[in-house]
Amino acid sequence: MKRCLSLLVSLAVASTWLLGGGVLPANAQTEIALTIENNRFQPEEIRVKANTPFVLVITNKDQGPEEFESHDLRIEKVIPAGKTVRLKMPALKPGTHSFVGEYHAQTAKGRIVAE
Amino acid sequence: MGATFVITLREAFEASLILGIVYTYLEKIGARDSYRYVTWGGVLGLLVSVGMGIGVGYLSGPLLDLGPDLVGAAVIFAAVGLLTWHAWWMQQHARAIRGQVQHRIDQARATQRLWMVGLIAFTGVFREGAETVLFLWGIMAQAASTNGWGSLLGGVTGVATAAAVGWAIFHGGKHLSLSKFFSVTTVFIMLLAAGLFSTGIGRLQGLGFLPMGEPLWDTSSLLSDRTVLGSFLTGLVGYRARPSALEVIAYIAYLVTAAVLLWGRTPRRGGRQRQTAISTG
Repeated sequence: MKRCLSLLVSLAVASTWLLGGGVLPANAQTEIALTIENNRFQPEEIRVKANTPFVLVITNKDQGPEEFESHDLRIEKVIPAGKTVRLKMPALKPGTHSFVGEYHAQTAKGRIVAE
Repeated sequence: MGATFVITLREAFEASLILGIVYTYLEKIGARDSYRYVTWGGVLGLLVSVGMGIGVGYLSGPLLDLGPDLVGAAVIFAAVGLLTWHAWWMQQHARAIRGQVQHRIDQARATQRLWMVGLIAFTGVFREGAETVLFLWGIMAQAASTNGWGSLLGGVTGVATAAAVGWAIFHGGKHLSLSKFFSVTTVFIMLLAAGLFSTGIGRLQGLGFLPMGEPLWDTSSLLSDRTVLGSFLTGLVGYRARPSALEVIAYIAYLVTAAVLLWGRTPRRGGRQRQTAISTG
């Protein structure tokens, strides 16, 4: 029991440390606007500098929530109807990284081109 | 309709597996009267999911930017911890249940803090719950449109199917002998928890707390984890079509650590190696 408890505690401590470390204020980063309207992304292609973190400012103008999801980048972010979310994006390797709006994956498709 | 079916099936499958495990576990140790802990845990998980789904709609600013993600990541690691703890307890019992039937039940009740399974049920339901609520809420808002009702039907059927599959898998567990059930479930829980742990690590990578690398391999053309089969395997054993190196390392590291924790110390009494449990899984 003790061992398990200490495992739980150390897991909790480790995750707090990891999470806390990342919340430190970042320097001003490039902000890129992305709008969701009629279950589509606008623009559908975003060009960013490779190997440089940036911030996606996603605004959902639809009546329902949408989930910005990039499977490859392990990012899932729900944007409620009418809300704007600032999503910190990690530095991306050069290449194309696709994303979808999971709730309307047939229409809401886009890609980030890092170069 | 098909798409919403797959989405809710995927979201709800893990929760139904976890609920199935803990219900059957209680049944097995003869603690049916403790079902309520699981039921309460599950219901509470559902209520908090609805609350969080509504809450997210009212949040704004940094609270909305990071809050739900931090909660989500914390719940994943809490679930991993609780499941590990549960597997460890079952392992202790598996060692003790060679004696009388009544004795093992008394012992289980005396030593097990059964309410802890309620926490497991809670994290299991809450983990994907808020997203499922938001998703269903979204398609309900659009139910008036042409194919809206079909989508809603698909979404609800997905949740129901996940529940049915989880129930069926662990209903089958009732017919196993107690020690076999413990062994099989322990391995099951370890794989589930390893998958969750690597999901959590992947989430931290996505949030930028851990570096992201190239996928170690790509089997998405063979079996994409977006398909029904792929999502079942994701829920069961943490299958990934394009895992990052860190996710694979996390998965293996978890399994090794858990195996050492569970089977590392062979008790003096009893003597028999527990390695058999691994091979039955």
